Amino acid sequence: MRRWLLAPLALLLVMGAGHTTLAQPVDQQSIYQARDRVLPALVHIQPVIKNYFTGELEKQAVVGSGVIFHADGYVVTNYHVAGKAARIICTLNDKEQVPAEYIGGDPMTDLAVIKLDLQEYPGEIHAAQFGDSDSLKSGQYVLAMGSPLSLSRTVSAGVISTPDRYFSADVRLPTGEPTGRYNLWIQTDAAINPGNSGGPLVDMNGEVIGINSRATFFANNLGFAIPVNIVKEVSRRILADGEVTRSYLGLHCQAMQELEDYFGTAPNTGVLISSVDPGSPAEETYLRGGDIILQMNGEAVSARFVEELPGFYSRIAELKPGSEVQLQVLRNEETYEFELTTRELGELQGEDFEAREWGFTVKAITRQMQIDNQLDDSTGVFVVGVKSAGPADEGGLIRSDVVKTVNGEKIADLSQFRTLYETMVAEGAERALLTVSRGGSTRYVLLKIDQEAGEDNE
Amino acid sequence: MNRITCFIRYGVLALAMMFASAAAQAQDFDFDKLNDRVRDVSVIIDIKFEVSFGIHSTEQQDRYLGTVVSEDGLVIFNGSALENESSVATLSGFTMKTTPTRIEVSTLDGTTYTGEYLGVDRYTKLGFIQITDLGDDELKPISFARDVEFTVGDWVALYMLLPEYIEPPLAADVGMVSTLVEQPEPFALTVGFNSLQLTSVLFNEDLEAVGVLGGLFDPGTGGDRGMMESFGSFAMPLLGVISAERLEKIIADPPKKGETDRGWLGITLQALTTDMAEFWDLDVPGGIIVNEVVRNSPAEEAGLEVGDIIIAVNGQPVRVDRDENLTMFQRQIAEMGAGTSVEFTIVRRDGDELDTRQVLATLDKAPLAATDAPEFEVESLEFTVRDLVFGDYMRFNKDPESLSGVIVSEIKQGGLADIGGLRFGDVIQRIGSTGVANLEEAQAAIEQVEQEEPSEVIFFVWRNNKTLFVNVKTDWE
Repeated sequence: MRRWLLAPLALLLVMGAGHTTLAQPVDQQSIYQARDRVLPALVHIQPVIKNYFTGELEKQAVVGSGVIFHADGYVVTNYHVAGKAARIICTLNDKEQVPAEYIGGDPMTDLAVIKLDLQEYPGEIHAAQFGDSDSLKSGQYVLAMGSPLSLSRTVSAGVISTPDRYFSADVRLPTGEPTGRYNLWIQTDAAINPGNSGGPLVDMNGEVIGINSRATFFANNLGFAIPVNIVKEVSRRILADGEVTRSYLGLHCQAMQELEDYFGTAPNTGVLISSVDPGSPAEETYLRGGDIILQMNGEAVSARFVEELPGFYSRIAELKPGSEVQLQVLRNEETYEFELTTRELGELQGEDFEAREWGFTVKAITRQMQIDNQLDDSTGVFVVGVKSAGPADEGGLIRSDVVKTVNGEKIADLSQFRTLYETMVAEGAERALLTVSRGGSTRYVLLKIDQEAGEDNE
Repeated sequence: MNRITCFIRYGVLALAMMFASAAAQAQDFDFDKLNDRVRDVSVIIDIKFEVSFGIHSTEQQDRYLGTVVSEDGLVIFNGSALENESSVATLSGFTMKTTPTRIEVSTLDGTTYTGEYLGVDRYTKLGFIQITDLGDDELKPISFARDVEFTVGDWVALYMLLPEYIEPPLAADVGMVSTLVEQPEPFALTVGFNSLQLTSVLFNEDLEAVGVLGGLFDPGTGGDRGMMESFGSFAMPLLGVISAERLEKIIADPPKKGETDRGWLGITLQALTTDMAEFWDLDVPGGIIVNEVVRNSPAEEAGLEVGDIIIAVNGQPVRVDRDENLTMFQRQIAEMGAGTSVEFTIVRRDGDELDTRQVLATLDKAPLAATDAPEFEVESLEFTVRDLVFGDYMRFNKDPESLSGVIVSEIKQGGLADIGGLRFGDVIQRIGSTGVANLEEAQAAIEQVEQEEPSEVIFFVWRNNKTLFVNVKTDWE
């Protein structure tokens, strides 16, 4: 169980649970130097995030951290801090408040870039330097900076506990997106708490080596940061394109170590496919669980340990969508050549929409959601939340239902749903009959829309 | 402690006592005579059973009051705790399973026999035990009075079993017929009894056995909740008389574990609410909306379609107007039995057009419950598998064409399979290099493994809609 380091403002009151202070023989001057190179670039971020899970759009003030990496005022933080923000206020290290604009984000690596609005800022912007996360060593001293429990400008110290922690691909952000498939994590014992999210992890040269993202429940001093080399690449692509596009083949792989005897392969040979997504390029090319990829585009590949899997996934992801990929595959002791064309991974989650008068919220259905939720196709809209005692709740709608028709009209996508909803609300429709798909069966949900309650809400 | 929760045991007892104070009105039972009658037909049942939760299993013992219903030793009792089917939460896949391991049946004058557990009727919770070592002994069975008409204010009496350390073991209780329920089904409701007395034989003041205490609703889904209703902050069981007519049908053909001849149509369903009926301009007291038609089911053969509304069964209107009452329809179908031809009147909507038609379906046997599916215990690797059943396919939203294998139904905590990473609910598709599609193939593959005694066994399993390999290290000593 891991918690995301997002601190609601209410947590300001939760104090006094202090833990470790480090008393390690480290040169005080070098700590000051490292601190002084990054602390001026530290940003306390107060976004108001949009939450649709309760069946209505709720705005919630939260607190996170970030670090300025470009003199024009670009700040990198976590996607789970700024990704769903309605508006963002930042406090810089000199305590000056400035608004910020969301530039783009990448839930898969839990990173986002925002830009400070510096028009009225009287001070001078300091950008932190990004270091190199490929040369990290466990035991190496680091500083974590951020706003734990909203306590801004906090510096804590520790070491890198391990530079290459692997988490299985099932990790999800609080907003529901899968994350972490393409990266390992830096584990540190520098104190990291809710509110540290998005803040920098800094080495003794005063260079940012990671972005702190998560801590662990029921444990002390287990913090995790996204390695800065990932941050560099993702922020570069967000600045260039506003988003990160990835190639997708639909492969799920498994470490080979325990299965080498079974497959009769030598150590460090091949990447084992455990599963392929339905309807994916991998499935369409008849790849299947148990196949072992020996070469990709002529280069030998291997994943003996789980720690090697994110790297392999990244090699595919980094290709331009639509690229041809040659795979040499071992199956039943025979070698085969496969040629696949990658597809764009696409959005993990669709756009949210609040059907306020009807008492529920929906999401557009992306291909990844279709795979995640075992949907037959991507038509309809996905129910995110149902407002308690609202029309949809009374009618029996539940979360994860897929709305397929409204008054007999087929819903192809969110924009059609939105248009239909807005038309019906404008017309003052008192009844709406939805058909929803729920676990393979089709249920009928009749909404009795209370006109007066609707008007009161205006 | 059986599965009737502490809450019911104590909360309801307290509540029942509150109500009982109101029941101190005139009634005229000859309890000396009744006591003798009851002692003749009653037995005390001691059951040892194993309760398993997938990875945990514990032994439990419970004691029940039983009633002899045939000379050759058929006994009924409160089978709630042994009724596995209801505890198969089909959505979560979590299974709790109770398996009787030893049954002793003692008459009140002290003769003890061995019993064999037959099964539990899903709807009444009547459990059945057959005494197997009766020899030349003959037991005196109860006989029920038929066609008893109740009126509100009629008194009924029953006996319940007291804890083991109290002598004599039986205690009488009386209750009044509180109301004659018309909807969702005719039912003589009594509010003075409690769930501990479930399946006790009810006597009228003429000392005729008029039925047994049972729940108004199907208690089959969601444990005991089906017969509980909340009044403010209290919950109270909706108990009353299960009639002799219904009992005779069940007793004549007692349920058997691992078999089912309940009728089955093969649809998933929702109730036609008053609002929906109004929306579609249907002038009916209720109905069943077909949500899904199971492939190769009687419903499919009869031509039922998703969206059809069943408004009558054999000409009798369906009076289900809320989802809470769906079990009334399900029970009606179930109790008709497999092989029965049933005429359904359905309304099919085509745009605004309503087309009413009759369809004839021949009910099939209800699919086997997960807990009744054949199992195979892999002792050497410390886990158990069973065949995939209908409920699994519904839960996974799959069909036999898209998913085959055997499902891990028990796994010993800390055992070899557990340590190796096999999980409860995994669908095993390959063992070593042998594909396995069903229990028979899995058993053969395991036997092969057990002969070869390899140092590890690789399983290819389906889990959370993905596949993966699991390496189980063995220990053959």
